[in-house]
Amino acid sequence: MTDLLFFIRRIPQELAAAWAIARKDMRTYYLKPNIIMSGLLFPLFMFLAFAVGRNAPPGTLIPGLISITILFSASSIEPVSIPIERRVKTFDRLLSAPITFHTLVLGESLSGFLYSLGIAMLPLGVGIAFYQTPVLHPAALVAGLVLAAFCFATLGTLFAAYPTENVGEVMSMLNLVRLPLIFVSGVFIPLETMPVAGQYIALCSPLTYANDMIRFAYDGTTHFSIIHDIVFLAVFVLIFQFVANRLYKKFNE
Amino acid sequence: MYAVEAHDLTKRFGSLCALRNVSFSVHEGETFGFLGPNGAGKTTTIRILTGITRPTSGAVTIFGYDIQKETLRARQSMGIVSENSNVYDDLTAYQNMIFSAELYHVARAEREEKTKELLELFGLAGRQNDTVHGFSKGMKRRLTLAMGLVNSPKLLFLDEPTSGLDVQSNLIIRNVIADLVQGGVTVFLTTHNIEEANVMCDRVAIINRGQIAAIDSPEQLKKTIQSVQSIEVAFDHNTKEHLEGLRTLATVNDARKEGDKVRLYTEDPASVIEGVSAYAKQNNLRIISITTLGPSLEDVFIRLTGLTVGNERRSEK
Repeated sequence: MTDLLFFIRRIPQELAAAWAIARKDMRTYYLKPNIIMSGLLFPLFMFLAFAVGRNAPPGTLIPGLISITILFSASSIEPVSIPIERRVKTFDRLLSAPITFHTLVLGESLSGFLYSLGIAMLPLGVGIAFYQTPVLHPAALVAGLVLAAFCFATLGTLFAAYPTENVGEVMSMLNLVRLPLIFVSGVFIPLETMPVAGQYIALCSPLTYANDMIRFAYDGTTHFSIIHDIVFLAVFVLIFQFVANRLYKKFNE
Repeated sequence: MYAVEAHDLTKRFGSLCALRNVSFSVHEGETFGFLGPNGAGKTTTIRILTGITRPTSGAVTIFGYDIQKETLRARQSMGIVSENSNVYDDLTAYQNMIFSAELYHVARAEREEKTKELLELFGLAGRQNDTVHGFSKGMKRRLTLAMGLVNSPKLLFLDEPTSGLDVQSNLIIRNVIADLVQGGVTVFLTTHNIEEANVMCDRVAIINRGQIAAIDSPEQLKKTIQSVQSIEVAFDHNTKEHLEGLRTLATVNDARKEGDKVRLYTEDPASVIEGVSAYAKQNNLRIISITTLGPSLEDVFIRLTGLTVGNERRSEK
């Protein structure tokens, strides 16, 4: 009972510590060149490479651009910040603090999450200001952005658990997963037109559900259903948080 | 109650055994020194005691809390100052302090006050809004120590706190540690600086190759090798060329050059003094000073580890 009360009393403290970690990351890493490159410019150029010359209306391109921007920006902070912190030994400060690994993972994910939401405003704003692309379901857009950003931020935190001081090592592993996701998640190729095997693979990608929700917010059509997308993104968040927590524990003991 | 109790700690990294059956306890309010050459297992021990690393076998309690099972409770009463000055270069000194306070759940009302007090204490108040990037090594070290004290710990782990520091920072840090000890804080200090351990610690554990070679107060440790006495002599000429000659004197076990002096180890100081006088006359040297010395903590260290300071193994890290 005493233990239970101890942990219940600690919840606000743990959340405050997670927020402190996120704020520290925001102050320290948001303007690092490799984060700007990986989180903002890379998805933009990637998108241009596929979108230019396709003659598709902006209303169909903007949701895809938002999806991959969220994927890359959310998952780019921790793979840069954590190896750097290992190298300069500030990560030991987090490992030795009176906080749980859950708090560590949550705090690290929060900074990627907030960064990503901020970056996503760019394609969203460009779509509205220059192409007059209307958002039919703002609530679905907000839910999609929030869930997708948190899911991919946790994915970045998970990969950063790999015990290296080399940013490139984590980024290489992460890109091995992020790049194929773009092609199997209906961002550039609609799910309906993909081969059956591809459609099955798409089910395993969180980007599929994020893209489906964001697309619904713009044109009102979904491949699955909004509830289905929300549930699956939430499940991916939980799985990534759980696995990340286990990996940090394993690699730091 | 003990502040720290370590039972039979063993840590293996693959085939390397970094710690082997290490046991000791630290009393509340005590300054306990962990003295050993580089690679002896000091940092590994401190990482196990603070719950960062899990031992292969053995257990640790901090004020009665098991560090593996009750990690958060145990850590709440600790302050940790690691070997590296692990501060955030892109944050200001003030932001670093507040971040540390938030990690240790210091109440919002106390954070500001404690931060200002500590920055003042460590002579950093005037630079509190500057990013740490431009700080000197000594300033970063002082900030690291200030961050370790932000939660007013009952137990402070200091890993090589004054290693390679300027005189001013060294003095500030030693004075602050002395004040903390006066205030009842338990200090666990790892160092390879023998003089630091001698001056600051109530008890010292000498660790070598992952094993505790001895634990006792510095004075008691010196008594264990009372037979090792020495004569320190200074001549008016360069002593280097006479080192070999002095080494051959009767009852001299060893001779070492220390600055502009020569230190002769012996079990019979009286006969060595006679021998040195005769040697000086014979070689046309004038003795400027001659002193009989008891064994130092360094002698104990050398006797137990077989190493001289600065001639240490560098394997484990």
